[in-house]
Amino acid sequence: MRCEECSDKLDRYVDRELNDTEALQVQLHLEGCPDCMDHYEFEAHLKRLVKHSCDCDTAPKAFREKLRQILS
Amino acid sequence: MAEPAAQTAFAEEALTHLDTLYRGALRLTHDPDQAQDLVQEAYLRALRYQHSYQAGTNMRAWLFAIMRNLFWDRFKGSRKEDVSLDDLGEFVLFEKLRDEGARPEADVLDKIAASEVVSAVDKLPPLHREVVLLVDVEGFSYKDAADTLGVPIGTVMSRLHRARQQLQKSLYDYAVESGIVRPGGMKQVPQT
Ligand SMILES: [Zn+2]
Repeated sequence: MRCEECSDKLDRYVDRELNDTEALQVQLHLEGCPDCMDHYEFEAHLKRLVKHSCDCDTAPKAFREKLRQILS
Repeated sequence: MAEPAAQTAFAEEALTHLDTLYRGALRLTHDPDQAQDLVQEAYLRALRYQHSYQAGTNMRAWLFAIMRNLFWDRFKGSRKEDVSLDDLGEFVLFEKLRDEGARPEADVLDKIAASEVVSAVDKLPPLHREVVLLVDVEGFSYKDAADTLGVPIGTVMSRLHRARQQLQKSLYDYAVESGIVRPGGMKQVPQT
């Protein structure tokens, strides 16, 4: 696999959307290519950052209770 | 109406997904009160249409779909302008940082506050924002996201791609404005 192809598949690799064969091909490329590995780690890091930044918003307790009452 | 016990069980299960719905509603409306209204209405609707939910399928996706459909019903008027996203061309933050000598590139990410990331997400047009919420924040597969949004998987992928570019551009702009990154000024990285 060339770097270009790896780069094209990186989003889907990070999102775990490649099939096993493709994922393995990307993994093998990453293991032999520090540049693409850096890029992969960056994208994975960014995805975690987006998740954790938005994750901290949870439904207020009082709202949860209110809903529980309404729905029961 | 379902048996009371069945209804309670359904409501209890549905409420295990409350945080996902609330977060999504909050990011879509940008307003805690509107988010609560939207989520409450979504739950009432879900209860009313619980017969249309197939047990064993993805309840979280089903509930999210109800909530976001309500959102879009309410904000129909603004839909058109909301879909537009500036064409950035290809913007890849990693490459941009690498070109500017900011290494390791991921260090820049560590310096960006969570609130800045949230505001970058909020700046995305809602059609793009909701894909990021589903795939990145809630960890939906492309398939589940596509089912939730009622679009083909290819649409999920293209919206996600553009959303991420826009998001990365916003984070880059923030990093430049706040001095985390100095464009063209980081060529001389101390050699270790
Ligand atoms: Zn490579």
